[in-house]
This record gives sequence, C-alpha cells and structure tokens, in this order.
Amino acid sequence: MTTREGPSQPTAEGTDGRLVHRLEAPILESARLPAGYHRLVVRAPAIGAVAQPGQFLHVWCHDPTTIGTPPAAAVLRRPYSISRVWSGEAVEILLQVRGVGGRMLSGRRVGESLDLIGPLGKGFRIHDDLRTAVVVAGGSGIAPVPFLTETLVARGVRVVALVGAADDDRMPFPVDRAEPGRATLLPLEAVGAEVTFVAEAVEGKLVSEALEERLEELSGPGAEVMATGPVAMLRQVVKTAGESLPVQVSLEERMACGVGACRSCVVPVTGAEGIVYRTVCRDGPVFAGGEIAWERLGR
Amino acid sequence: MGASGTVSGPDLSVQIGSLTLKNPVMVASGIFGYGDEFRGLADYGELGALVLKTVTREPRPGNPPASRTVETPAGMVNAIGLENVGVEALVEEKLPLALSYGTAVIASIAGDTPEDFAACAEILDDTPVSAIEINISCPNVRKGGMAFGVDAWASAQVVRAVRPATRKPLIAKLTPNVTDICAIARACAAAGADAVSLVNTFSAMVVDVETRRPVLAANTGGLSGPAIRPAAVLRTFQVARAVSAPVIGMGGIWNASDALEFIIAGASAVAVGTVLFADPAAGNRVLAGIREYLVRHRLDSLQELVGSITLRDGD
Repeated sequence: MTTREGPSQPTAEGTDGRLVHRLEAPILESARLPAGYHRLVVRAPAIGAVAQPGQFLHVWCHDPTTIGTPPAAAVLRRPYSISRVWSGEAVEILLQVRGVGGRMLSGRRVGESLDLIGPLGKGFRIHDDLRTAVVVAGGSGIAPVPFLTETLVARGVRVVALVGAADDDRMPFPVDRAEPGRATLLPLEAVGAEVTFVAEAVEGKLVSEALEERLEELSGPGAEVMATGPVAMLRQVVKTAGESLPVQVSLEERMACGVGACRSCVVPVTGAEGIVYRTVCRDGPVFAGGEIAWERLGR
Repeated sequence: MGASGTVSGPDLSVQIGSLTLKNPVMVASGIFGYGDEFRGLADYGELGALVLKTVTREPRPGNPPASRTVETPAGMVNAIGLENVGVEALVEEKLPLALSYGTAVIASIAGDTPEDFAACAEILDDTPVSAIEINISCPNVRKGGMAFGVDAWASAQVVRAVRPATRKPLIAKLTPNVTDICAIARACAAAGADAVSLVNTFSAMVVDVETRRPVLAANTGGLSGPAIRPAAVLRTFQVARAVSAPVIGMGGIWNASDALEFIIAGASAVAVGTVLFADPAAGNRVLAGIREYLVRHRLDSLQELVGSITLRDGD
C-alpha cells in the first residue's frame, strides 16, 4: 500500500497563527483493546511534528474516497484526543467502540487511510516552572494521558497520574495489581508516570477522593493538576484541588465544525463581564478549572 | 465569463440584482462563522460567495450549551440561537478577514423588529459586503427570526424596512416551516428583495429516551443535511416558478449532482452548508463538478441549465 501522506487540501496558517492540516493518513495499526476500546495509529508527520498534548483530531469515519457521497450515518466528523505521537511520525487515537462513528472507525484496517483535520484546539499549558503534574483521568479521559505524560517527562516534569474507572475491566489497558495495596497501569508507567489506578468497585472510592487524600503531599511550588474525564469528575477535582493548586481541565462537548465556526460546543466561562460562551473545539478543549462556570455546565 | 473561468470554459457567472457572482456556489450562513475559522482548509476565494453567520444589532449569547447540536440520520439538528458578535464587531473585526479571501462576501442579518434589521443594513451599507441576506427564518430564537418568516405580511414588512436602508442587493432567506412558501417568497420579492434563498432548516426535535428529555438545551432545533435535500429541492422548484427574482437553493447539498438538482429545478445559485463540517472543501468539489457537467453536456453557460427541468406526464 501507498505510504503517501497526501494532503488532500492545502495546509495553511490561520490568521491566529495556528497550523491546521487536513490529510489522508495511512493507517499503520488498528487494534482492538479491552473494555470496548480501539487503537488506531496513522502516519501523519505533519500533525505529529506540531501536536501538543490535549489537542485533538477531527476524524471522518468513512473511507476518504467516499467523501463525495452523502452518508446515511456519521455525517459529522468525530473529535478524538491525540493519545500518542510516535517519533513525530505517527499519531495514535484511542476510541470507544460505542455509537456509529466508533464502530465504523474500529472496522478500518491497516492499508486504508483516515481523512483527518488537526491538530485542533488548545492543549495543556506547560509552564516553565512546572515541576510536578498531577494528572487526574477518569474513564475515557485516559485517552490523552500517554501523550501528556511523555511530553511532561521529556521536559523534566514529575508526573503523578491518578486514573479512575468504575472497575478494573473498564480500562483500555490491563490493570496490574501485583504490588499489594497499589494498582497500576503498566503502559502509563512505561512512559514515565507514577500511576495509581482507582477502581470504584475495588477501592471503594472515586479518583477525586484519591486526589483529596494525596493533595497535601503533592501540593507545593511548581505543582499543578491536569484533569481529563467526565464533567462530574472534573467539577469535583476543581472543588477539591482548586484552592491549593492550579487546575487545568479538558472538556468534551458535542461538536460539528471543530474549528470554532458553528458554535455548537460552547461552555460557560466566567469573564470580566459575566458569563461568556467559549468553544471547546477552538478556545479549549483545555481550560483553567477556575474559569469554567461549573453550575451552568452539564445536561 | 466567470472571473475564475478559463477562456474556453463555460460561463458560470450568476446575476443577483446588481451583483454578479463569478460562479453559483456559495457557503450558507451559519456554517462558516465569520469566514476566518476555516482558513487554510480549502481555497474559499474560489467560490461564488461566502455568506457569513447572522448578526444582530447587539451581540447575543445564543442558546444554552449542552447540547446545541446533535447528529441525526443523514443530517443534524442544531439550535445555536443566533449567538453572534453584533453587527458592529462584525464590521470592525471580522469583515476584513472574510474579504481577504477575494470573493464576494454576503452579510446575514436578523432582529426582533423590522427596525433592528434596518439598523444592521444601514451599518453594512458603508462596507464592502456584496449583498445582505435577511434572515427571517431562524427556527431557534423565540422572537424575530422565523416569527417573521412564517407570515407573508410580516416578512414583507421586514424587507420593506430594510430596503431604504441600503443600496446593497437584498436576499430574503426563507423558512420551509410554512404552509405556502411561495406566498412568502412573492411577498418578499414584491417588497423589494432582489433574490430569495431557501431553505433554512426544518423544525425538529430529538429525544433522549433514557432521560425522556430533549437532547437540545433549546428543546427544538433545525434539521439540515442530506436528509432534507429532496424536500428542499421541491421548495426551490415551487418558489422558482412563483417569483421572477433569482432563487438561491440549498438544503443538504453534498456533491455536484445534488447542486445540479437545485439548479435544474430553478435555482440560479446554490449554497453548501452542513457538508462543510465533514468536508471543508465541499464547495470547491461541487464547483468543479458543476463545471465538469456543463462541459460534458456541451453547455456554454450555467444559465441554460437554470430551471430547465421537464416535468413528467404524471403531473
């Protein structure tokens, strides 16, 4: 098969200085993972070279050659966090095989291509004085954590990852309970994180409670919380840690354009003149925890 | 001869009142933001016109979030609620970026009263926008919007208020959520609209069966995408026969063949909307396909095709 990384469209710099690429990226790996997850790795050096942790790809679920045919289902692209960047050449996403888009994408095979737009959005801000990143992830919020961890570790930041799920079998990675009293995820340890996995069904607590227990120990100059997961978890993380540490949160919302035009994916942010709406796709997905008007967020 | 055409290529130009578009493919309002958001993802300067997101006299926050959009079979339902920066910020901050594509830019306006529409038009009259689209068809706001567009008299009242406020060509954007869209189109044309565009979205609702609540925060929204295309083609056909003003047809156009259906049914120009979310270069793809069709059918100009439909005996 071709290894063409054929930009189907011109790549250009927007007036706000960001680089956006649309390309047909050859699929290098398509693998089923536990708990209904799926891994897709594509060759996309143009994206890999500039991607930041927390940014996402806007993915056309169908074969790129069918773009001219109106689809009966999955009319819209799907946003997926960039989960890994391999040597700047390949980009990985972790998706849940749930819903029509995820099912279609999980059926895509090596040798085919994905029509991608990215990297989109604003990722995690990594400040120069960051020493310890407390990465809190719940459920499918695990997706951007490997890329985030690798990037942080490469910059000399200590990464303490607290990962939560309902149970051991709800993670895309196998849970390792070899060490008594501490569950971990080896793939995350392999990229340099100190991992504590918290299964609600086993540990009897939520990941936000695990954060609370360790907050004092982890707080200090140069420490910051970076959280990804469901809104209820993020809200709790901000409530728990927001007083003692800076908190960044990665939000999700139903999206159409992915570039800030359609105003579908807005979230309420407290600004100088009251509540304003900001887009998850362009202003986010990563926001400062304190700027979100949490009481107005959620269904 | 279209500005972007080759010497030997077919004439794709379109006349909308005093405005000449170099080709018939436009981007529909509400899709493209104020023009800059999609920059880099296609050559938007190649298209006939870019219709910007609707603005009102004052900025509006729009509907509450979570959710404003939901995907449906062959389509989507949206209820953004005319979130916009206001006409003044459009002119000062956004318009220069949109104009930099080098093609016609059309502003879209809405308001709670005919005077609001007129005030927006007056401000836009001093700008380089090529035309003004009067959005009397947004289904997602309580006041204004579709409240005007469902009534022929109220629609005409808005157009009549805007007409003296600007020398720009005026396009009335119509809602399909009416009993007789032709009556509305006729009223708008009689009141001074140079063209009509249709359709805006079809009123719709999606229910979350687990919570037994609507998915959209606004409860209802507007359906767009391929699902509505045949319904939009019919209305385009009907309106094109009812008014002599040019008709801009839209609703679920995904490819050149879809666009040609509208043109053959009577549309002088077409707009792409929802498809841009999937394929930001859809307008360019549609344009290339229309050009290829004209060549293949040995037509010298697009005009030969507009309204060229031959009805079957069944009618």
